[in-house]
Amino acid sequence: MLQLVRAGARAWLRPRGCRGLNALAEEAVQPAEKPEPLANAGPQAPVLRRCELPVPLHRRPVQAWVESLRGYEQERVGLTELHPDVFSTAPRLDILHQVAIWQKNFKRISYAKTKTRAEVRGGGRKPWQQKGSGRARHGSIRSPIWRGGGVAHGPRGPTSYYYMLPMKVRVQGLKVALTVKLAQDDLHIVDSLELPTADPQYLMELARYRRWGDSVLFVDLEHDDMPQNVVAATSGLKTFNLVPAVGLNVHSMLKHQTLVLTLPTVAFLEEKLLWHDSRYTPLYPFRLPYRDFP
Amino acid sequence: MAALWVAGVARKSLTVAAGAPRREFWSRFRKEKQPMEAETVEEVKKEPVLVCPPLRSQAYLPPEDLQSRLESHVKEVFGSSVPTSWQEISLEDVHMKFSFLARLADDLGHAVPNSRLHQMCRVRDVLDFYTVPVQDRSKFDELIASNLPPNLKITWGY
Repeated sequence: MLQLVRAGARAWLRPRGCRGLNALAEEAVQPAEKPEPLANAGPQAPVLRRCELPVPLHRRPVQAWVESLRGYEQERVGLTELHPDVFSTAPRLDILHQVAIWQKNFKRISYAKTKTRAEVRGGGRKPWQQKGSGRARHGSIRSPIWRGGGVAHGPRGPTSYYYMLPMKVRVQGLKVALTVKLAQDDLHIVDSLELPTADPQYLMELARYRRWGDSVLFVDLEHDDMPQNVVAATSGLKTFNLVPAVGLNVHSMLKHQTLVLTLPTVAFLEEKLLWHDSRYTPLYPFRLPYRDFP
Repeated sequence: MAALWVAGVARKSLTVAAGAPRREFWSRFRKEKQPMEAETVEEVKKEPVLVCPPLRSQAYLPPEDLQSRLESHVKEVFGSSVPTSWQEISLEDVHMKFSFLARLADDLGHAVPNSRLHQMCRVRDVLDFYTVPVQDRSKFDELIASNLPPNLKITWGY
């Protein structure tokens, strides 16, 4: 009785066409209908992004298509502007080389060590007298010209090849690498890294269809916010790798044929890399807390 | 010792020979398997089948009615009030630029690459871009297909 009264009240409050359905059944049907219009909506609003940071007056921003990974044919979902001082700077290949070689070498510790004539066991005594024996004169049996003797100028102990390039050189290296990727059509901007399946085969076929190349580097903003599907898909593939934005480096960008950035990552990179153009020299190292460090 | 061991084996064989407890033991596993298989088959059918469309070729030939197509797209995007100098319309507005270039790319099957998007300032630049044909063949295939002097041979042994 109370249900009939409620149904009658609802029918009076929302006068629509004749509804043969029960009110409860309508509520049950509506949540099932809601996802369908979202999936079938054809022309969605384009994803457009302007550059937030100030652009120098003599330069204009570079642009790139915003793509989507949700479907094979969803290229050109939007258009984004990219800051010219990050994505269209001078192509300094020498800086790229410096930074790539630095990345390779600064972590290197070579553990090779050989014994000198002083460290080889034995050889303290003069083997035979200086004159009269007819043989060549020698002072010890472990000198470098002897078999079994020490090494004269060999590697001496663990050697470290650690050196640091100036911070601005490393930052410029990242900017040049991004410029080179965009200029050679190997950079793709994506609205987000959401995939319809966690199947690695889907990612491979997508890259093949869009002609991205053999190796792709996906860059998301935070490590914790990465979608599960893309994490599962990239962990199953060897040449498709996923890194957070802080893990972007010149060697990885050069090693992978294609670079895929998300829109929040682009904003993050622009802010971090452009700050160094107009900063004061540090009074104390940047790893200690600053109030206005980005 | 040996007698005890033989008696134990006989007891085991008797219990194994008694089929009723063994059948009950295995029938439980059989009943559990069947509803599981039905569930997995239904789940696979519910997922949408993502089929990769066939690979497109990168070759592009500008169609003969390229100018008229561009004009019609300009009218669609910028409105029908288009001056005669439609080639001088600037693409500064991001909305207009995106809708214009996206429509052209879907229509002609050839999109402006990222590296050249910032060069498209006016519709004239877009027209110049789309008048250039793009070939799919490598330089070697072109050389082989072109007229070579009789004493020049190219062997491509990849």
